[in-house]
Parts: sequence; C-alpha cells; structure tokens
Amino acid sequence: MFGDAADAAKVKDGGTLTVALSADPDKLDPTLSRSLYSRYVFHTMCEKLYDLGPDARIVPQLATALPTIAADGLSLTIPLREGAKFADGGTLDSAAVKVSIERGLTLPASGRKSELGPIRSVETPDPKTVVIKLSKPFAPLTAALADRAGMILSPAAVSKLGANFSTAPVCVGPFKFASRVAQNSIKVVKDPLYYDAAKVHLDAIEYRIITDSSIRSANLKSGDAQVADSLSSQDAPALQKDSNMSVLQSQSLGYQGLTINVANANGVGNPLKQLDTPIAKDPRVRQALEASIDRDALVKSIFNGLNTVGCSPISPKSEFTSDAAQVCPAHDPAKAKDLLKQAGVSTPYKVSMITSNNPDSLRLAQALQAMVKEGGFDLVIKPVEYASLLDQQDRGDFELLQLGWSGRVDPDANIYNFVGTTGSQNVAGYSSPDVDKLLTDARQAKDKAQRVQLYGQVVGKLQQDDPVIYLYRQRNLTGVSKKVLGVQTYPDGVIRTAFAGFAK
Amino acid sequence: MKRYLLHRLWQSLVTLLLATIVVFLGVRALPGDPALALAGEDRDPESLRAIREQYGLDDSVLVQFWRFVSHAARGDLGVSIRTGESVSSMLKSALPVTMELSLLAIAIAGVIGVGTGVVAAVQRGRPAEWAANALALLGLSVPNFWLGLMAILYLSVALGLFPASGFVPFFSDPIGNLHHLVLPALILGTGLAAVIMRQTRSSMLDALSADYIRTAEAKGLPRRAVIGRHALRNSLIVVITIVGLQLGALISGAVVTERIFALPGFGKLTVDAVFQRDYPVIQAVVLVTATAYIVINLLVDLLYSVIDPRIRVRGES
Repeated sequence: MFGDAADAAKVKDGGTLTVALSADPDKLDPTLSRSLYSRYVFHTMCEKLYDLGPDARIVPQLATALPTIAADGLSLTIPLREGAKFADGGTLDSAAVKVSIERGLTLPASGRKSELGPIRSVETPDPKTVVIKLSKPFAPLTAALADRAGMILSPAAVSKLGANFSTAPVCVGPFKFASRVAQNSIKVVKDPLYYDAAKVHLDAIEYRIITDSSIRSANLKSGDAQVADSLSSQDAPALQKDSNMSVLQSQSLGYQGLTINVANANGVGNPLKQLDTPIAKDPRVRQALEASIDRDALVKSIFNGLNTVGCSPISPKSEFTSDAAQVCPAHDPAKAKDLLKQAGVSTPYKVSMITSNNPDSLRLAQALQAMVKEGGFDLVIKPVEYASLLDQQDRGDFELLQLGWSGRVDPDANIYNFVGTTGSQNVAGYSSPDVDKLLTDARQAKDKAQRVQLYGQVVGKLQQDDPVIYLYRQRNLTGVSKKVLGVQTYPDGVIRTAFAGFAK
Repeated sequence: MKRYLLHRLWQSLVTLLLATIVVFLGVRALPGDPALALAGEDRDPESLRAIREQYGLDDSVLVQFWRFVSHAARGDLGVSIRTGESVSSMLKSALPVTMELSLLAIAIAGVIGVGTGVVAAVQRGRPAEWAANALALLGLSVPNFWLGLMAILYLSVALGLFPASGFVPFFSDPIGNLHHLVLPALILGTGLAAVIMRQTRSSMLDALSADYIRTAEAKGLPRRAVIGRHALRNSLIVVITIVGLQLGALISGAVVTERIFALPGFGKLTVDAVFQRDYPVIQAVVLVTATAYIVINLLVDLLYSVIDPRIRVRGES
C-alpha cells in the first residue's frame, strides 16, 4: 500500500512539515554517508541519476533514460536532463556528473567505492551525455546510480568545501539544506531553482530526531510531527485505528535472519578457520535449527502480522525473484530432532545467540528460544547494545547472531557481501566455490533472465548449507497525519515527502 | 586568601586532568569503535580503515590523548566523527539549551519546594503537612523518564497544552521558548523540589523554635513577618547550599529529560554520542561538564570564605 501523490487541487501551498526520525542521520554528504536516515534527508535535496518507482523498478531522475549498455557490457551511456540547476545556481551537466562519480571512487572513506564497481573512467562527450567505461561488466551499477552513488553534487560546492561538503551540502533537488542542530534536527527549505518547482507545495521540512518509538508516535498524535518513521509493530495497530492517522507500509527488500558462525574465528577479512562446534561444522545441525523455526507463528505473534515470512535473501518484490528463490523449508520439529540425531549431537543442544537489546529484538529472541526447544535446541540469549553487536560480529565473537539487512534494489547487494567468500560482511565465514561462481556469473550476466535463474540456484545452495537462516522481511511502518497528503514509502525504505502538502 | 585561592586552583586543575584521563580511557574501553558505529550496516574494510586513519583512531592511546589535550588547550575540540561538524559549534548550540532548562527547573523547584516546605513547617501535624510530605516522597521516588512519558501522553497528546517535543531559541521567540521548556523543566525539577521542600521544612522547624523567633513574637510582630522575614530568611541559607549540591543531579537528570522531549541540549548530545562512539564529542562534553562543576565548586567555596572567614582559615592551615 502506498500513499497517493499530493493532488495539487487538494493541498495548499506553504507550511513546514515535521518528520520525526528514529535516528540521527550521519554525514550529509552522499559520498560519505552510511545510514538509512541520511537517505531520507537526501531524498528531498539531492536527486540521483536514477530513482526507484513504487514497484521497485529503476526509473530515470536526473538522467532522461535508462543507460544504453554496449554489447561487450563495458560502457554505459547516460543521457542527462537539461535545464536542471544546483541550489547554488550552477548548471547540471556531464562535467558535474564526472566530478561526483570520481569523488565516490577516490575520496578516502568513500562509502560508494564498492557500489560503483570496476569503473575505469567517466567520459563527457558533450554536456548532456555521460559515458561510463568499465573494466569488467557490472550489472548492479544502474541500481547503485539509483542510490547515493548516483547523487550529483554541485562541483562548485565540492571544490569549496572538499571533505567538509556535509556542513553545507548543495545538490539538485526540490529542497535545499538550511540548517542542522547536532543530534536534534535538520531543516531543508524549498529551492526556487528546482526544475519542477511547481510540484513542490511545502515551504520547508524539518527532520526532528526522536529515538524512542513510543515518543515518536506520541509526537504524531499530539500533532508536533506529521510523519514518523519506523513505528514499532506494538504502536502501529493503535495508530491504524486512529481516524486522524494513517500507517503506510512498505515491504523492505532486505531481511532479518540468524547468522551462524561457521569459520569466522579470526575476524572478518582475515583467513577463515573452521570453528570446532557441531553447528559450525555440520550443515545438518543448521538445517535442524531452521526446521525447528515456525516462521508463520513468529510473524503473527511477535509482529502482529505486520511483517512477512522470508526464507531467502531475495524479496518477492524484487524483479529478480523466481519460484526457486522463494522456496521455504517447512517447520518440522520432528525432522529437526532427527537431523540432530544423524549428526550425532546430544540434545538439548546448547547454543548462544547475540542480539540487539531493543524491545522488538528481545521479544523475537524469546519467541525463537521457545520455538527451537521443541526441535532439540537450548537457545541462550545474549542481548548487547548495537555498537557492541557490530564489534562482536566482525571479530567473530559469537555462535549465533540475530541481525538484519535493510536491503538494496539489486540482489547482488543483498547476497554477495554476506555469503561470498571474500564478501566484506561475510561474518559467517562461509565459503563455497559453487556459490562464489554463481554470484560472479550473475554479476557479469548480460540479461535479466539469466540472472534470475542464477539467483534461484544460489538460494537452493544456501538453504542446503544454511550459513544464514532467513526469517522474515520487515515492513517499514510510517505514521502519517491525515492533514498531510502525498507522503509515500517505497521498498527502498526511504520515505518520500518532497511533493507532499498540507490538505486544504 | 591568595594562598587559599592558589591551592584551590591547583586542586581544580588536577581534578580536571584526572576526569579527562578517566573518560578518555573509559570510552576507548567500550566495545565497538566509532568507525564501526558510523559505518553501521554499510561497512567495508577499506572505508573502515579510511575512517580510522582520518580521525587518527589507529594511533596509540597516548598519541591520541596528547593530541586531544594539546588541541583542547588551544581551544580546538576537533570535529564530530559522525556528522563532521565542529565540536565547539555543537557545544555552543547545546549549552544554552541545558543552561536555560536547568535554571528554569531550579526556579520551578525553588518556588514549589520552598512554598510546600514553609507550609509543612508552619502547619506541622496537620493534613497540609502530610500532603506536602507525600508530594515530596513522590517527587523523590518517581523516575523522570516515567513522569516525562506520562506528561507527554496526558498534557501534550490528550490535552494539547504543551508541545511534545522541539525547541525554539529564547531570542527568536521568548513565549514559544518558554512554552517548549516549561514541561521538561517541571519534570526535571521534581526531584529537586522534593529535596528543597524537605530541607526548607526542617530548617524552618529549627528556626521557628529558635530564641530570636520567640523574641520577635514577644515584640508583637505579625506572624507573617515572623515567618517570612525572620524564620524563612535564615532557613534559606541552608537551602541554597543544598541547591548548589544538587546541581550535579540536575545535569544527569537533564540527560533523560532532554532525550524524552527531544531537546537539543547537552544531555541528549552526550547520550547519543556515547551510543555512536563519537569520541571527540564525548571527550569535549565531559571536559566542559567537569570544568563547569569545578568552577561552580570553586566559586561556592570562595563565596563561603568571603562570607565566613573561618573556612578560609581552615583552608590555609
């Protein structure tokens, strides 16, 4: 369910929209930013070469068409929109695109380098055309250009501010940066130079950071905020009943799951070393754990049915899905016990799990604990705070880990880094030459059908080896006051507020 | 006097240095480093390395400490690892909010605490004293976060009397500023009000039984004048001392209150910086807070020694 785009006849011009955000965005620099929350803010002030439609398909934004890819897959030609201006008055042209992409490739601490892949050079045959040359075919590039890697920065601002661009970011967008109070709020105001300014109704948007989810929904109810992100599945039902509110839901492209430490004994990035425990050594034990989990019950009892069951890294919303990618191992505690017996493990088999210490994660952990007992597991819960959780997972200091991934449009970004042998987030320490080959082939495949088929095979292989047990897909729940029209949530998790307005 | 002053200054400097060292090491002993917290789910080894390098996080703790202290001595507190903003400017915007909140909380707590305290003392043994005592007990035992949540739910959401969050600076809109701050200040002041009430009550009781009160009453002064001009005035000296001692509790209380009401103050800055392992911000916050504490203590001690020469003599001996 998506919100309706603001109908110009129904909204009035003017007003400041207050959006309650669940976390403070990090640097307001598309090259350096790493949090989902900065993407909310970028959405109103930094347009990209490509964007995502409500159906998770890629559509042109600052480009005018999807890239033309050469027969050898080594060059992409992107036509640019004419007449677009940066908030500082500069003109958007191919030179600006070149500056932005090269900055993503070269700036130390750039978060975009790996997303941009094997780019060899960026060429500018004329002001309206950009040609990207690759050293290897790289199918996920277009999707990357529909995210921060495709945001085009004002070259004037880049040369003036350098690495401090985040203190006064300048891009092309319906709004421009106005001010930021650390840990508290970010304000953007309408940009009169925006090429489609007639569609912009609001004068300003203020993002106010309110980390506690119940206080976020209280602010929504009191009218101090009109939009609130990441509602808890506990607060959402009450808001859904409130006649002044609506709750927008969008299914994420990511997943929540259990990662099993197979061979991450030395920390991620270091040589793998098989752990000497039954669950690490024997895939049957991991399959048993998966068989003892009742995903349906989990989603219904813990999340009020607001999330959906997920058994693979590929969302059914993705255009790369297939029947093979959506196969779901059945809940079968008897089979679980049987598998444990075959593996020669004495039951109850004790295994400890680290998880985030927020209320939703803890409830999930407790439900899992009760469930897997039936399959012969004794699950010990070890709650830790988020920064420590990241630390422990990278050091390989865990047996079992409950965490999720917010998801990207291209399936490669949801799989390769996590289960590829050299994946930067392969915290399971999983290594399978078959999976590596399938993933590399999918990266370099030229047509979609081929990729769909390859990803189906990857899922089959992953469900045999079970380095990650995929559990469910989160739905992004956004509370919106009925006084505001035109707020939308998309599968990339970003709340669209740029073309919203207050109802007449 | 001069020797006493020098002695106290020296003590203060040592305290400050110790506080800085403890925090510097403490923060680094926490699991998870800023690069990881910053990168979150989007992390890859190369950019983690680049972040660590950029902020000197791969240097030894000694090198990092020296860099921090030497830069701080020149007034440079560095930049936030998370947002890239200058820490000084973050402090400059957070400090006035917390100061205003605390002052308002003290004022509210003072009025409520002294008022109920006087009533409790004067109405000793009557229902009014019971009511005042019960109120004080409640103020002391109910945690701020719960009180804050309830206040938001009932006063902001249900009745719409106060905004649930946000802040406007005093100079741009004084009335809006007070409107935003009254509720958080009231919540923050509850504990202090209870302490003040109890102190006022017991000092008033002492005073009321003192000889000079009997003298005043014997002179035929009206009761209001006896209580207000004689008893209360003398009792307040102790009360003010207590308020000074409670300032620390107020600062830690502000951490919770600011978070609940999303006020851009020092408390919120501190907690969020800890969660994000934003070392430069945590260090700067502690440095400034410790300095404030030390300066306040120093001033209070100096004032005492001006008022009461016995203290000065003891300090010198």
